Amino acid sequence: MNKFSVDLTNCDKEPIHIPGKIQSHGFLIAVDKQNLAINYISENAGDFLNEQPKNLLNKPLAAVNAYIRQQDPEFNIEDLLKLGIIRNNFDAISPHPVELDGNPFYLIISASINDWLLEFEPVTLQFDIQSSIGRSASAMLQGKSVSALLSGAALEVKKLISYDRIMIYKFLDDGHGEVVAEEKEAALEPFFGLHYPASDIPKQARELYKLNLTRLIADVNQPDAPIITFKENEPLDLTNGGLRAVSPIHIQYLKNMGVQSSFSISLISHGELWGLIACHNYSPKFIDYKAREGSKLIGQILSSALEYRQDEEEAEIVELFKDTANVLSEHLSRDKYLIEAITGHKRTILNATTASGVAIIFENELKTIGDVPADEDIRELAEWLKQTTDESIYYTHRLSEIYTPAKKYKKIASGMLSCTLNKELGEMIIWFKPELITTVNWAGNPEKPVTPDENGLLSLSPRKSFEIWSQVVNNTSEKWRSEEISSVLRIREIIITDINKKANEIRLLNEKLQAAYEELDTFSYTVSHDLRTPLTSIKTYTELLLKNKSIDENGKKMLDRILHGANKMNFLIKEILNLARVGRSDINFETVDMPLLLKEIESEVWNAFKADKTELFLGQLPNIKGDRTMIAQVFTNLIGNAVKYSSTVKKPRIEISGHVDGEEIIYAIKDNGIGIDNRYYDRVFELFKRMDNVKEIEGTGVGLAIVKRVVERHNGRVWFDSKLNVGSTFYVAFKNR
Amino acid sequence: MKTPDIFYVEDDIDYAFFMQSAVQEVKDTLNLTIVEDGSEALLKLQHFVDSKIKPKLILLDLNLPGLSGLDLLKFIRDIPYLKSIPVILFSTSDNPEDVKAAVEFGANAYLTKPSGYDNLVKCVHSVHDFWFNQHLRLN
Repeated sequence: MNKFSVDLTNCDKEPIHIPGKIQSHGFLIAVDKQNLAINYISENAGDFLNEQPKNLLNKPLAAVNAYIRQQDPEFNIEDLLKLGIIRNNFDAISPHPVELDGNPFYLIISASINDWLLEFEPVTLQFDIQSSIGRSASAMLQGKSVSALLSGAALEVKKLISYDRIMIYKFLDDGHGEVVAEEKEAALEPFFGLHYPASDIPKQARELYKLNLTRLIADVNQPDAPIITFKENEPLDLTNGGLRAVSPIHIQYLKNMGVQSSFSISLISHGELWGLIACHNYSPKFIDYKAREGSKLIGQILSSALEYRQDEEEAEIVELFKDTANVLSEHLSRDKYLIEAITGHKRTILNATTASGVAIIFENELKTIGDVPADEDIRELAEWLKQTTDESIYYTHRLSEIYTPAKKYKKIASGMLSCTLNKELGEMIIWFKPELITTVNWAGNPEKPVTPDENGLLSLSPRKSFEIWSQVVNNTSEKWRSEEISSVLRIREIIITDINKKANEIRLLNEKLQAAYEELDTFSYTVSHDLRTPLTSIKTYTELLLKNKSIDENGKKMLDRILHGANKMNFLIKEILNLARVGRSDINFETVDMPLLLKEIESEVWNAFKADKTELFLGQLPNIKGDRTMIAQVFTNLIGNAVKYSSTVKKPRIEISGHVDGEEIIYAIKDNGIGIDNRYYDRVFELFKRMDNVKEIEGTGVGLAIVKRVVERHNGRVWFDSKLNVGSTFYVAFKNR
Repeated sequence: MKTPDIFYVEDDIDYAFFMQSAVQEVKDTLNLTIVEDGSEALLKLQHFVDSKIKPKLILLDLNLPGLSGLDLLKFIRDIPYLKSIPVILFSTSDNPEDVKAAVEFGANAYLTKPSGYDNLVKCVHSVHDFWFNQHLRLN
């Protein structure tokens, strides 16, 4: 019949639903669904019926009536089966109490593929268990949290079946299991918290657990009873049966643990096998059908309570995440700065997940909350993320395995969830979870379930040692839940909307600023212009007064000072007008003949400063494209400065030359004058800024501001090198169009 | 009433004062008539027409409250009796647009107001030399 030879290498392929034998505490008859003839019978049926089982094969089911004693003399096993078939359900007629050879038995009917399974097992329970099941269920349901619910269930199942040890076993993502609740005799060593490898409960066993919610092994030492049949090639499917014999591997496994009886109840959540209530007894212990059914009921109630409670706990977390998003959204709308808004209040961006630390990189600033790696490590990680991923969300619970530098801080950051705000700028938020399980206590070494024998062949050798074998599970954090991912996505949306909103505000502000700037230009132009008229009056009256013969020398001196002040003011106003004009007028692009322009400027400047002793050296003078008037202003100012600030040295020397450099034409104006203190580098081009060492030299502080504005309006650049008392070189670069 | 040598429209009383002073300095016999705004200038111009008096030179400030220098220039050029009088527009502005407009309206010259008294005297001197001496010679 079942020729499958099982060992640890193939036990996940063992066809355990068709073992070809049953446990021998009861017996089995299977009848054909078509004609109700006996197709299969367990060999031990003879022990109960005082009849050679093979004599019953192919006989009609009614033949069994002869061996059953019933209170109702009209009882007919065929009628009972037909009743179930008509109702399409055997729940109401199972278990049916019968008497065999003076002993009470239950008849339990279930469906196989082509046959009906009729299983007979002894009745051992003397009292009605119904009321205690109700009490157990309500006691268990008092547990408010998932863990309290599980402990309660273990306790109630122990009361119902009185086994030595009741464990609640939960399957984790990779298929291995963990004991999450336990109720046991005090003397026993606890298994609570132990992890069991996935191979301990093979895949097909799990499938069976989903279909048939309980499984009893009454006595591991009791030999199984084979099923006999004439249908040698059609093994009987015992999926729904209660007597099904289990894999010899599993029996060995239990024996190794010292377990003599085992009972398990499936826990199903959302259609999947969530876990098992696994019950062990260290001596043989049969469980009465009704107690098993009671336990099954407890398991079902626990399953739905688990589903509900888990959903509830999940919902609470989701609620918290949503609330965090709302709170942060409010902060963002109220606060001026993003980082402050999402980190500065009681509820922070950290609460968007269950992470223990978070880092925000925004506008080149790095801000962290909670347990996070060192700043430079975060920066490095961010750089790596920027280059590695194009996704807006990227997460792992084993960071150091994909990014080696994370090894040194895996304790605080084995879990990493990043969300990009701006990829180009490398702006992002990164959450961290610590390395969670540093040690898993395995019940036996999961790596070595098979040991080769002396000949090097793999042989049947289930694990004998059940001593705790601890394995260090490295580099792993708690996984990121889908709720956390959606929470992060939600918050990312909020933040990005806020950033865009603020960027828009800045853009509007910029436009206003631009308008204000233009208005200021108009203002300074108008004011300067209007100031000239009264100033001219002052100047002219003063000149008139100076012609008046009746004014004495002292009075004339004072009038001279007034005239001097007025002239100075007039010059300043003219300069401001020039500056304002640069901002107001349109650029009229033309090719500027530089040798000619510089010649004009030279005569103008040398005249103005009476710089006869200053030598001028001209190099290459390539032409520039630009507004001639403005470019003349630039060179007049720069050359004027060069002459002015070198006038105090013995042999003033000024060099001017230009060259084409790629897309630019760069002019250098070099002097050997007093130079500029490096400390003021950034302020040189500011309006009205004059350096400490030029107090003695006339100037308004407008010239270089004009230079800068003209150059900027031409999309060029201006900069300088300088050394105190050695000289300065100013460079202007214009686009070579 | 004596025929004015120069008729000057200027709202800035300071500048009017300087001009008076400068004209006197150039030639103290020169007769200068100054009015402060456009409407007063119109009355005066009408009076010139009515009494058949013709100034030798008219100076107009460009920016005047109410009627501008250009408006007055247009008025002068539209009246046959006055249209032959040389007109100089006189302004602080050196805006090419203004210069262009003045010439188009028929100004004989456009002068930017010099800064400082000495410059004004120089300016009046050259104006006098050009318009009066030549004028006399032409006559």
